[in-house]
Amino acid sequence: MVWLTGGALAVALLMITGLLLLVLVQGAGTFWPRPVERFTLHSGAVHMGEVTRVESFEPDESLFSQLEGPARARAEAMLAEGGGLIERRLVRIGNYELTGEHFAWVSDYEVAQREEPAWALIIERLEWGRFYGEPKAFLIDGEVAADSPEAVWALFNEHHRPSRQRWRERRHLEVHEIGRVNARQEAARIALRQAEIDHGVESPQAAAAAARFEVVQHEVEGEFSRIRDAIRALNEENARFKIVLSTAQGQEKHLEAAEIVRAFPANQLDVTSKAGVYASRWKEFLTADPREANSEGGVFPAIFGTVLMTIIMSLLVVPFGVLAALYLREYAKGGVVVSAVRIAVNNLAGVPSIVFGVFGLGFFCYLMGGTIDQVFFQAKSASGPTFGTGGLFWASLTLALLTLPVVIVATEEALAAVPNSMREGSYACGASKWQTIKRIVLPRAMPGIMTGMILAMARGAGEVAPLMLVGAVKLAPELPGEINSIAPFFHIERSFMHLGFHIYDLGFQSQNSEAAKPMVFTTTLLLIAIIAILNLAAIWLRMRLRRKFVANQF
Amino acid sequence: MLRAKLNRMIGVLVAASALAAPSVFGQVKVDPALPEYKPVKGVSGTIKSVGSDTLNNLMTLWAEGFLKMYPNVQIEIEGKGSTTAPPALIQGTSNFGPMSREMKAQEIDEFEKKYGYKPTALPTSIDMLAVYVHKDNPIPGMTLQQVDAVFSKTRRGGYAEDVTRWGQLGMTGAWANQPISLYGRNSASGTYGYFKENALFKGDYKDAVKEQPGSSSVVQGVASDRYAIGYSGIGYKTADVRAVPLAADSGSEFVEAAPENAYTGAYPLARFLYVYVNHKPGTAIDPLRREFVRYIFSKQGQLDVLKDGYYPVPAAIAAETLEKLGIR
Repeated sequence: MVWLTGGALAVALLMITGLLLLVLVQGAGTFWPRPVERFTLHSGAVHMGEVTRVESFEPDESLFSQLEGPARARAEAMLAEGGGLIERRLVRIGNYELTGEHFAWVSDYEVAQREEPAWALIIERLEWGRFYGEPKAFLIDGEVAADSPEAVWALFNEHHRPSRQRWRERRHLEVHEIGRVNARQEAARIALRQAEIDHGVESPQAAAAAARFEVVQHEVEGEFSRIRDAIRALNEENARFKIVLSTAQGQEKHLEAAEIVRAFPANQLDVTSKAGVYASRWKEFLTADPREANSEGGVFPAIFGTVLMTIIMSLLVVPFGVLAALYLREYAKGGVVVSAVRIAVNNLAGVPSIVFGVFGLGFFCYLMGGTIDQVFFQAKSASGPTFGTGGLFWASLTLALLTLPVVIVATEEALAAVPNSMREGSYACGASKWQTIKRIVLPRAMPGIMTGMILAMARGAGEVAPLMLVGAVKLAPELPGEINSIAPFFHIERSFMHLGFHIYDLGFQSQNSEAAKPMVFTTTLLLIAIIAILNLAAIWLRMRLRRKFVANQF
Repeated sequence: MLRAKLNRMIGVLVAASALAAPSVFGQVKVDPALPEYKPVKGVSGTIKSVGSDTLNNLMTLWAEGFLKMYPNVQIEIEGKGSTTAPPALIQGTSNFGPMSREMKAQEIDEFEKKYGYKPTALPTSIDMLAVYVHKDNPIPGMTLQQVDAVFSKTRRGGYAEDVTRWGQLGMTGAWANQPISLYGRNSASGTYGYFKENALFKGDYKDAVKEQPGSSSVVQGVASDRYAIGYSGIGYKTADVRAVPLAADSGSEFVEAAPENAYTGAYPLARFLYVYVNHKPGTAIDPLRREFVRYIFSKQGQLDVLKDGYYPVPAAIAAETLEKLGIR
């Protein structure tokens, strides 16, 4: 028996560590910079980029029949040497706007020359994906300021940081300043619509609101032009600094320094600078907004959405679950009905999560949300629903329902584990039922209740299927809980991004699926880490509570 | 109907390509006659798009481009399949419904029942539905009848026999005896519907087709399975797969899935990608949607189309579409 149980544990551990190791190895390696290689083919074509994958394949006869003379002899010799197999490499060639491809396969027999050019730059930019090229010149105001690779690189480094700083300033103006002005205008517009709905289009109230709208409109125009001027000035300043690159095929490309997120000569880096690039890529991944249909940039909105949703869900599910369990265990008299309820709760845990999603969509979003919209957001919802569609709050509620059985069962178990002698002792001292529960039973059961909450959080944070119906979306960069200057501060009605859904999206729906694949592992690693952190936080809370309650008891 | 539209486009495009200095991208160009998008004042609110998975990334790119002009607009994009677009538009839970096929009569009826007018279809870009095989597969091309015989159990295309092995498509050597492994989309997808209608001649799919939740997963499935075949939008092509040249029937030549063949209408599975909106004819459309549609049909918006691997519409179609919404 020892062997059987021990063996089962070993198998379980092996599977879990295997999975974690796979995710860790694949996920952690994604951001490590790789060298840039240039392949010159016998056909004269040139490919330059990072090698992402190597595989051996058995070439088809028809492949060689296209070759002629020496090329064919060489290929056949290579084939014989490899024992019927030939290696080929998947090269990330980037430069999508010039080539129309992100990746290209290069087979060994085609390659005439393979080298690592010292000045090949990897450039990660805001649009169009990566760029691979060698620095040719640096332009300031259209004049060539440097034309040797070293000088261009030095100048670029000098101007890159200030350019990016100006770019960030511009983003700030665009997002926060314009956002504030827009929100004001929108509020006035909605007030006008509401007045028209409440009192009729011809009413004096509507006329007053229209007058107010005019005033706001006028002020807003002034502010807009001020902000626009500031943005234009920044843009013009940024347009002054350009780097000229030549691709492996000899094409020239001008890039503004401000458009470049990160550039480095990959073949010249030592381990420390590689680690620097690695860290900087992780930082971007954790803190930035996604770019290029989520295939680049960061996942900060998804992290935010996941964490906020899990926390709201816990706040909703724990009180409900604990109260329900208290009634079932402490107040209800045993009987057929209580047993039936208990069985029903246990069965609820076995309902497929997508069913909860459907219920959430029908009941919360359409019925409750639709009603809220009709009653409170008549004017705003004319151009689209406010609460009557998937959103953070509805998603949290749906997941709270989903995890309710976990909390109820765990709490019931914890309550049952409190010895009856303690309750009786409390009654003997003259305490009422509620006093006994509050002072004696709950503190004792608290660690067990917290365990239920931890389980519920882990279950909820990793759930994706129901979220797809009730509010998780591909792109929602505006954070649902962003505390900005615009009331009402928290927008729990908004759709949100979720890491689990992000993984699904990257894995199954990304256009550039080859580049997205490593990101899937990295995002998975991040999701696991976040769930672990949330759990650790709950465990820490449980320890604190346990100490507090135990100390207070005596 | 689509063919007619595409044919009409050819003329437009030939005229357009005669103009000078287009924005070059690989081989394809954005029509230089398209207007540059300039932001206007007073645009705010939420863009909520529910619909096609084929258009999912494209909607996201448009949204990102639009966000750059109007940072305070909120954007929410969901792409679970074209079939999800009409209910969301009817319910009012979305204001844009991207679809990779035209709405069916029944869907239009339901919409009309609720609103009293038809939804407006905006042809935003051109896609070629490609039949993908593994990159090592040397097959020179397939006729639509062969495609039908591979994917369909009803063979409405009229091919003589059921095709289950690569040898039946004329391949020799190690390939001849290998069974064909089929990949396709799930039934919520517009790609599924379009392929059924045009490549299977409205027949039924074989049960052996492995249905995938996204266009990209079809391509990944084919990429990892040497003897596989699957269908998906041209925008999802990777280096690991090859798009098979197709012929409309055994008498015609194989046509490469290349952009020039999409525009001439020679490629048999070229289609428009639509965005549907709820617009009462004759009324003014609200500023948010008006500007987003204008962005889609601007130079920047059509450059996003190229970025996603699809093909832009010519300026004439763009202008005609804007006219439908009363935008000029």
